[in-house]
Amino acid sequence: MSVQIAPEETAESQTGQRLGDAWVTIVWNDPVNLMSYVTYVFQSYFGYPREKAEKLMRQVHEEGRSAVSTGNREQMEVDVQAMHSYGLWATLQRGGE
Amino acid sequence: MRAFRRERGSLVAELDATERGVIAAVVADVADLLGAGRLEERATEDAGPADPALMPGMSLRTQEIEPPEDDAVRRLLPDASVDDEEVAAEFRRLTEDDLRRVKVERLTWLWDALTAGPGAAWPDDAVVVPVELGGAVAATLTDLRLVLADRLGLHEDEDAESLYVELDGEPAEDEDDPQAEVRRYLGAVYVSLSWLQETLMAALLDDLGRSGRDGQGRQRG
Repeated sequence: MSVQIAPEETAESQTGQRLGDAWVTIVWNDPVNLMSYVTYVFQSYFGYPREKAEKLMRQVHEEGRSAVSTGNREQMEVDVQAMHSYGLWATLQRGGE
Repeated sequence: MRAFRRERGSLVAELDATERGVIAAVVADVADLLGAGRLEERATEDAGPADPALMPGMSLRTQEIEPPEDDAVRRLLPDASVDDEEVAAEFRRLTEDDLRRVKVERLTWLWDALTAGPGAAWPDDAVVVPVELGGAVAATLTDLRLVLADRLGLHEDEDAESLYVELDGEPAEDEDDPQAEVRRYLGAVYVSLSWLQETLMAALLDDLGRSGRDGQGRQRG
């Protein structure tokens, strides 16, 4: 699947980082997490509308993973930690990889 | 077991004494796996966690932490990179103590709710979750199910689906096999918790509505 590398403008302009420093948070599929719960997490934590949250959830379920947020490494560590606290398995990686 | 639904501004399910006891035992086991000791043996509220790593303010680690050996614990505190050991190690050093503490605090809350009773204003079987704790309880139900899934060997979507088929059928000729009996028991608990969490999610998603909550989600800056 393609990974969106465009960072959020606000985050980038605040930190003055180059595009090459963009990182992404990836959420991976597992057999345990309920589709309703994954949608709830994406909507309540990231503030995404239901439609976007469900689209990302389906991508996790059907393609095995989805890039759910972008930003610098520190921001992605915050998002990955939040996903782990919710029991979703998430990883961070450089956006271009 | 009755589904979660909104009642008097709270999220309320009903579990009989046996159901509460079974789930509380799983809660205590998972807290134990995370290093909290036995919740049943907490002397007082302020006795503090058994593991010093669970003390607030102890996360300023300078040394790396080895990943947990138990696969179930490692699923609760997973690697933050699939191919970069430096990223994973750094993340674990910075976050693992915090994650353990958050999970144990939530497990402790649920254990208290299951064992102390809902108070005089509610039926004895009620499990009353304040709306603002709904997400935390859903996360804790997830943690319980992740550990049970590991013990049941549910690694792929198909494994979870076949568990339902397995539990629907009559016990096979190995019905006197203690291991098969344990598996049916754990499987039944897993299925019950899944159903209970699904009803909680229906209530919480209903509350969230369809729009985004920009500004109420995680903050950056």
